[in-house]
Amino acid sequence: MINDGQIYFEDVELGDEIGPLEKVASDEGVIDFCTLWGNPVPNRFTSEEEAAKANLPGPIVPGVMSMSLMAQLITDWAGPDGLKDLDVVFRQPVPHNKPLIITGTINDTRQEDGENIVQCDVLMTGTAGERYIIGTAVVSLPSRS
Amino acid sequence: MYFDLHCHSVSSDDSRATVEQYLKWIQVLRKRGYTVDGIVLTEHRKFDFDKDYSQLADDYGVIVLKGSELDTRFGHFLVYNVTQSLASDIDFGDVRMDARELMQASQHHGALAIPAHPGRFGIGLVDFMDAGETFTDVKIVEQLNGGGRPGENERADELCEAYGYLGTGASDAHLASHVCTCMTKFGMDISNEGELVLALLSGDFSPVKLEETSTA
Repeated sequence: MINDGQIYFEDVELGDEIGPLEKVASDEGVIDFCTLWGNPVPNRFTSEEEAAKANLPGPIVPGVMSMSLMAQLITDWAGPDGLKDLDVVFRQPVPHNKPLIITGTINDTRQEDGENIVQCDVLMTGTAGERYIIGTAVVSLPSRS
Repeated sequence: MYFDLHCHSVSSDDSRATVEQYLKWIQVLRKRGYTVDGIVLTEHRKFDFDKDYSQLADDYGVIVLKGSELDTRFGHFLVYNVTQSLASDIDFGDVRMDARELMQASQHHGALAIPAHPGRFGIGLVDFMDAGETFTDVKIVEQLNGGGRPGENERADELCEAYGYLGTGASDAHLASHVCTCMTKFGMDISNEGELVLALLSGDFSPVKLEETSTA
């Protein structure tokens, strides 16, 4: 299928699965992310008290951080330039310090404006089946020809 | 016949699947040996009178029916065979409507409203019944929901057992690859929304998981 580490459009079939990628967003990782992001701490992402003020069960993982974890599933698979769009729906708060299982399923392939487009469902779940985030990714892959 | 009685297309704000993507995915399921005859699009808080999926349905050989999933103050309800007259009587966007009024209006207009995911924690019918609410018109509930968290379908099982309710199955899909994970098996043919209601009222149906439809 691959001889140079690159996946090609011709290698892909509907129903193919991507991942799983398992990640944990630790307390320290979220603080580091907020600091880099320019979101002053403490905030609802890092502090029990601030989270309670926002009626959250505890500090949650920032949405953009969760999206970056989901994007990694795709860029690890397709390469750094392949991801064209990631559109997600946040269904439950994403907790700190718990395994986050990220998976993808290819549900469409097409050629569009000269590009080889692959569309994937992407999902972030917990180990007990909690669906934290659902969405779709649009990926452009090179052709063998 | 096997129907997925509850799925959402991009017409619902929280879905990311087009109808065509669902139909393409059903071809993948069929290739894998599973049986799927149709789906019902149950969009949130609306009914798409203007949408016609008959050409797509023909192209892919899948029956595509339309319904609604409405919010009420007693949880979500799936409505089948929605008519203009029902939509004139009921404000589909009213998230505080009384589910009992919805069920009665549906019956009056030839439609059928049943509780969706009754075991869902916090917003399922089970919690409202536990709080003392009564629903004499409920005879059928969505017993098997593909989007349920652990424990929720079990609560629906217990509800059906305790009250003698009949149960449907459905995926509650919001992504293409989730459609038809759970379905309802019917003993009679269904080709439109009116026949779907008749089939439900006949009682000749049961909830099934996708794996149970395998012909392999």
